[in-house]
Amino acid sequence: MTPPLPPNWKCPRRVGFLFPHDCRRTTPVGCPDCQNGQIDDPYYSRADRYGYSRYDYYDDAYFFDFEPSYEPGAPDAGSMDFTEADGADLVEPGGQFENDMTES
Amino acid sequence: MWLIYALGGGWGHLTRAIALARVAQRDRRVLILTNSPYAEAAAGAAAVRALPPGATADRTRQEVIRAIGECRPECLIVDTFPRGIGGELAGILAGLAARKVLVARDLNPRYVAAARLREFVAAHYDLVLVPGAGEGLQMGDLPAAFTTAPWLVRSAHEIPDRNRVRTLLRLAPHEEQCVLVCASGKPDELDWYGAVVRELLAAAAPVRLIAAARPPQCPEECWVRYWPALDLFACASVVVGGAGYNTVAECLAWDVPLVARAWPRAYDRQELRARNAGGRVTLVREPPEAARVALDLMRDHRRREPRFVNGAMEAAVRIASG
Repeated sequence: MTPPLPPNWKCPRRVGFLFPHDCRRTTPVGCPDCQNGQIDDPYYSRADRYGYSRYDYYDDAYFFDFEPSYEPGAPDAGSMDFTEADGADLVEPGGQFENDMTES
Repeated sequence: MWLIYALGGGWGHLTRAIALARVAQRDRRVLILTNSPYAEAAAGAAAVRALPPGATADRTRQEVIRAIGECRPECLIVDTFPRGIGGELAGILAGLAARKVLVARDLNPRYVAAARLREFVAAHYDLVLVPGAGEGLQMGDLPAAFTTAPWLVRSAHEIPDRNRVRTLLRLAPHEEQCVLVCASGKPDELDWYGAVVRELLAAAAPVRLIAAARPPQCPEECWVRYWPALDLFACASVVVGGAGYNTVAECLAWDVPLVARAWPRAYDRQELRARNAGGRVTLVREPPEAARVALDLMRDHRRREPRFVNGAMEAAVRIASG
């Protein structure tokens, strides 16, 4: 059970697999990232990517033919929602940085 | 006019800024913008616009933006923090009609990744200067990057002669050299240095503590209020200090062994710098250990002469050459 939260509480966790950023939810209840506050660092495993050495292995069951099909009037691939460049706008340096003007 | 952005605590950013300003101001006006509590140390060495060290982050950000707007520099030189220490530069660099130069000291790689600093620097800075090869792990390979020798606040020919140094340190006739304890860093770290002095005195070692303020454990007669400590290294058989940029660079310049405590910092990786110093830095944690190592190293009585290269000279030329 989630303990009572102080007024104006904001979640201090970092979330987001591709673009880590402050969570800032006002309650962990129903949160799909920390699962009701049960996980301290929901995306801790993203650091594990650097140690993974079997990127090229896929079970045969994962292979299938993919044919893009566009509905009439549907947006094509050139108008996707965001690109890698947009990531820069989504990233925030994180709560532990750029707040203390006496650091070095 | 060149404006050097040197925000951040302690001596490090300010000292590096003064090192560049002392060279560059021979040919143009140079102003240092800082919130260091030691800004007064620059009096007479360079022009400084000092922001209140204890101001809130928001107030400091506002003051920085105001200062840059009022100065209208032809060249903005930003020390260490590409986005500003509070991120305040991120929104203004693109619209600023100035040549933008980053002084790329080492940074916490978590911050570099989280803020995408490499992409930011590549997009916003005309020149990246790495002040010493060991500092360039993150930005040193960018197309606009140049690596210089470490920047020092004095060039070799400016160092006082040995007799003057002996006078400044108040060495007795029988004291040829001493252990020099250089207490830079944060005020709450001062006690550690005082405890090292106490340990060294208990072993009857000649010791002087160079600091802006005297820690309680350091007797008055051992305290020397002097800046920059680099001037005094001719009479140091060993230095005890932190592993910040300037202390390490100055000890390497003089080839004097450094017994260092790597202090934790949000951005600076002091332990890494110490370990990359070619065996000239011995890392310690507790004052008795620091004193024990210093006593062992002070048996080296070589006379040292200032023969170092000051990378700030090349930096000023690089910036001026556009």
